[in-house]
Amino acid sequence: MVREMLTGNASAAWGARLADVDYVPSFPITPQTEIIENISSWIRDREMNAKFVTMDSEHSMITAAGTAAATGARVFTATSSQGLLYGMEMLYTISGWRVPLVLVNVARAISSPITLEPDHNDILAARDSGWIQIHVENCQEALDAVLMGYKISEDERVFLPVIVNLDGFYLSFTREPVEIPDQKDVKKFLPPFNRENGYFRASKPVSRGAALLGGTGYSFFKYQMHLSACNAISVYKGVAKEFKAIFGREYDTVERYEMDDAEYVIVMSNSFATKGKAAVHIMREKGHKVGLLKLRLIRPFPADDIINELLNRKGVAIIDQNIAPGSGGILYNEVCGCLYHSKERPNILLSVIGGLGGKDISQAEFEHIIDTIKKYHNKKKVPIKPILLFTEEDMKVTNNIIDIAGI
Amino acid sequence: MIRVRFHGRGGQGIKTASRILGTAAFLEGYYVQDAPLYGAERRGAPITAFDRISKEPVLERGIITNPDIIAIGDETLLNDAAANVFQGIRKGGIFFVNTHYEASHILERYCLPECKVIVHDVTDITINTVGKASVSATLAACICRITGTAGKEALINAIKKELKSIELKDETIDKNIEAAILCYDKMSEVPIETYRFNPVSGPKIIAVKHYLPPKGVAVIYAKGNTKKRKTGNWRLFKPCINYERCVRCGICFVSCPDGCISLDTDNYPVIEYANCKGCLICYEECSAKAIETKREVRTW
Ligand code: SF4
Ligand code: SF4
Repeated sequence: MVREMLTGNASAAWGARLADVDYVPSFPITPQTEIIENISSWIRDREMNAKFVTMDSEHSMITAAGTAAATGARVFTATSSQGLLYGMEMLYTISGWRVPLVLVNVARAISSPITLEPDHNDILAARDSGWIQIHVENCQEALDAVLMGYKISEDERVFLPVIVNLDGFYLSFTREPVEIPDQKDVKKFLPPFNRENGYFRASKPVSRGAALLGGTGYSFFKYQMHLSACNAISVYKGVAKEFKAIFGREYDTVERYEMDDAEYVIVMSNSFATKGKAAVHIMREKGHKVGLLKLRLIRPFPADDIINELLNRKGVAIIDQNIAPGSGGILYNEVCGCLYHSKERPNILLSVIGGLGGKDISQAEFEHIIDTIKKYHNKKKVPIKPILLFTEEDMKVTNNIIDIAGI
Repeated sequence: MIRVRFHGRGGQGIKTASRILGTAAFLEGYYVQDAPLYGAERRGAPITAFDRISKEPVLERGIITNPDIIAIGDETLLNDAAANVFQGIRKGGIFFVNTHYEASHILERYCLPECKVIVHDVTDITINTVGKASVSATLAACICRITGTAGKEALINAIKKELKSIELKDETIDKNIEAAILCYDKMSEVPIETYRFNPVSGPKIIAVKHYLPPKGVAVIYAKGNTKKRKTGNWRLFKPCINYERCVRCGICFVSCPDGCISLDTDNYPVIEYANCKGCLICYEECSAKAIETKREVRTW
């Protein structure tokens, strides 16, 4: 094991390298490109033994990834933002083929207006595609999630592809100390993929993506996908246990930070959770009983773990780094949905939208969220509309932009 | 935790400077986070890079708005409002500038708060020793020394590692180390009062109102919307037309990617220097060799 300063992109690439993948179809897009650059230079230098192909688009890239996986190859690919959307059709198609592979999405907010920094409208647009989704907070997690991803994806109880999501800029270009596991330990954790069952061979043709009219068979197989995705929760937990036994790092479906006696909880995901933890730490120093629940596994949605953590709390704020125009925060609705049947659910579930287009969330804003929950705590009527984290100063900046645009 | 923010121009080695500092501190056993911030990357465009160096795990991410040290690699950025180099400057903070001017001159000219201004002509040392103006190793050496985060050995190892990773030749790396050590020895450690969050009154969260078009829609109506962002100060080299050699072929006029060359009534090209960013495509394309280049320094 060595410790090195690695970017999130390099960490994800290391995950693919250690997983000893066979095939990497690729297409460049900021902020993901560094992942495939790393892999292609390793292949050039014979440090990695895989086939690397640059495709003509993300649509072809994801198609190639799925077809290669259907032959039993271990496949890695990566994209971001517009690229993920462009390949969206094939995300649904491939999950229906029931082939295992890992795709890394480097989150970047979606056009238009066009931008480079992250929010999660790209990755959450793929939430119903049948892919397992693991969202990571730091560079180490990025590497580890790629390794775990293969093991989950290749488990026959699941047999669905996996997306690992890491935030652009905040992780993709940011270096942190990362432990690179030894290849022999990774081999123990992730043996070569058993490609005996149902894989395409020249002499043994199979047809994936069959046509099924009339709805009956369609319903059955779609529901099978749902059940397999649900299985991924216990498979995930088993894989996490094995991972901990070998590498010492623990990754549950959710991560609890200062949760034991927390009266107020912030629910959030991805790299901004680091900022949330710092804010919780400072609020704790001031004597506020605040905790943070980080969502790591987004698909399948680990409802039982979330319910367990949120029951009997006084108030909960769900920060969505995404926006569904006309509805609000995407994860807010999912968290509310799973709590509805519990009598001990928190009094207040506050919807907060922040970090759109990578906009920072400041300490003061985190404190504002907790103040707002407290303000409503004893009131009957709680706003169900989301609060946007946007300050007077932000409005000045915006007015200046509008002025330059000549409006 | 020490927070360092570097400012410079694309091609100057600013990202690598932040990585050398990061790696050196990492080798000394610190928790480190470093990151560059670039938009649409272009040589000469302002670039920022960050380092967080701490004895405990770093619970921060993203851009640094409250730096303990601001390190300016290119002094012309001091006059570029858009580069925002003074953001978060404060009493007791350190403001390092790569310049030939005196510290007192900078303090007065920019009316800085009572921060510690440290100056050093890093470019000069680098050009003399290495022969090029990429200040990655030398600038990092200054900040290593000022912050006291890394000794010479860690610094040298970090320079080797980072410059190797961008595929520089051993000979060039050695020269960079030589120049870096010269800088390291010129500086001395300065006590740093690090930033602590202390809200006096937090920012006011507002309820954003609905605006009908055009205000509520991201559409640009203004022609020439670069009016508030002159890119002329990105130049490291200035293209100058020698009208005695110019044959009025107009090639430079059609080649300039930024439309900074127009033709006068006699069809001679005229360069608009307020926005010419010094890419030197016109210089490359002019087959009559009628365009010369001049190094621009000390423009303020
Ligand atoms: S390309 Fe050279 S010769 Fe042609 S118009 Fe421009 S300056 Fe003159
Ligand atoms: S250097 Fe020449 S081509 Fe480049 S922006 Fe200036 S005028 Fe245009």
